[in-house]
Amino acid sequence: MSVVLAEVAGRLGDGRELAVPSLAVAPGERVVLFGPNGAGKSTLLRMLAGRLPAPGAATWEVASSAYLPQRPYMFRGGAGWNLRLGLDGAGARRAEELAAALGVAAVLGRPARSLSGGERQRLALARVLARPESLLLLDEPLAALDARDRATVARVVAAGLRGRSAVVVTHEHDEAAVLGDRVAVMVDGSVRQVGPPAEVFALPADDEVAAVVGVGNLLRGTAAVVEDTLVAVDAGGFVVWGLGSAVAGEAAIALFGAEAATVYAGAHDDAGSARNAWSGTVAELRPAGRLVEVIVDCGARVAALVTPGSLEALALRVGSPVTVAVKATAVRVVRA
Amino acid sequence: MGFLGEVLGDALDLLADFGPELREVLGLTLVVSGLATVIGVVLGVPLGLALGLGRFRGRTLATVLVNTGMGIPPVLAGLLLLLLLWRDGPLGSWGLLFTPTAMVAAQALLALPIAAGITAGAVRGLPPDAKEQLAALGLPRRTAGLVAAREVWPGIAAAVAAAFGRVVSEVGAVLVVGGNIVGETRVLTTAIVQEARQARFGAALALGVVLLLIALAVNGVLTWLQLRDSPA
Repeated sequence: MSVVLAEVAGRLGDGRELAVPSLAVAPGERVVLFGPNGAGKSTLLRMLAGRLPAPGAATWEVASSAYLPQRPYMFRGGAGWNLRLGLDGAGARRAEELAAALGVAAVLGRPARSLSGGERQRLALARVLARPESLLLLDEPLAALDARDRATVARVVAAGLRGRSAVVVTHEHDEAAVLGDRVAVMVDGSVRQVGPPAEVFALPADDEVAAVVGVGNLLRGTAAVVEDTLVAVDAGGFVVWGLGSAVAGEAAIALFGAEAATVYAGAHDDAGSARNAWSGTVAELRPAGRLVEVIVDCGARVAALVTPGSLEALALRVGSPVTVAVKATAVRVVRA
Repeated sequence: MGFLGEVLGDALDLLADFGPELREVLGLTLVVSGLATVIGVVLGVPLGLALGLGRFRGRTLATVLVNTGMGIPPVLAGLLLLLLLWRDGPLGSWGLLFTPTAMVAAQALLALPIAAGITAGAVRGLPPDAKEQLAALGLPRRTAGLVAAREVWPGIAAAVAAAFGRVVSEVGAVLVVGGNIVGETRVLTTAIVQEARQARFGAALALGVVLLLIALAVNGVLTWLQLRDSPA
């Protein structure tokens, strides 16, 4: 039993190829469509929303959905009127509560056209989250928001999705990590890899996916220490320091790129100014374009990118003892 | 200058006098064209919204018909209605020929495609984001139409003005089905024809000025509404 079951391959009206080997969304599951601009994420989402015909669909079963377009539009009229469009009485009350949670309750009396981009986005989010459908299709839900608001809005959206299914388009790692149970990576119109964010970001299926996801490392844990914007995330005894916003004792996610991690041969206690230095052994060596991805088992699996030259100089092979270091400033922490 | 000066003098005299005959013709013109516009708009705007927004079988054919209707010669519309209303015609028993009712019907026939066509064009001109959002809201068809109509209301106001402008200025249809009977079915345009034919150019020009003032008033209101609405 799936809310979305899509298996489709064909050519779009504009000549682009679309290939979705298999995309299934279980009830209550949230899947993120992740990829660069032009990868076909929005196109696929619009098909799921019934706004575009799926080309040569082999399997195409999609539950009725509530859809947030990429650029929500406000119609001539009051902001409150726009908020309640398409909602029944109970839905309108939910939307007003959500608008309050999103910090736009005060703008409801104003003409919708006078709102800023961020206010429009939050109003549209309140409206779509108030819809009764069990499947939500959200295109870049946190776009048009400034960094200050994103964390708050992300939490409200995550809460609004609880218990419902969703397909969310984004090209931001932290959004993918916060809003997705699984990530489907799209490159050039095709879904290349589907899996939990940590797995996809750490173990991209191929070079192209690696180039797209870039991140390499995603660790879920609990915010153990919060010193202003400096946060220590404890992922089962493995501690990562990074910058971001979190509440001590609450769930948090630490993300950093494999290119930000430095590898030293042997065990070191001191790795320069890096807050994060972990000793472990090389678990895996994987080619990543012209570089090599070194997967180090040091309490958690950490991916680091090195040049073939360094690989040789350090004489790294599977089982070699190494230390991995990452500056805390290169690690992003978000609330889960 | 002698001839034109004389014509102008006559016209100004008639306008200054604004006698009962002129008032009657003006009154009938406003009633007939006003009613025809109302009927054309009430039927044509929803049709235009459906053509501009909807996806249904026969939409292309309906659009072609409406677009053709926008350019139909009024005298032809009048002729078609004349055939229907003629004594031996299908609706002859109604006895409507050469009555203001027949004139309203003929002009409504002209107003409808104008109202529908301009409305459909305005709705089609909605930004793609607006159309996407409208579809995303999952509104009942009627509500979606109302939201779209509100969104493009300057376009709909233009449709109303254009429909009225079309019917108030046409001669052919009202002449054929109305008959230009003094005191009964004579309107501004048919009166101009009559006066010009009888070489009473001053009277014809006076009627023409009144017609022009009506057009000016309608478009003045429309322009004011549109300017008031446009963002500063």
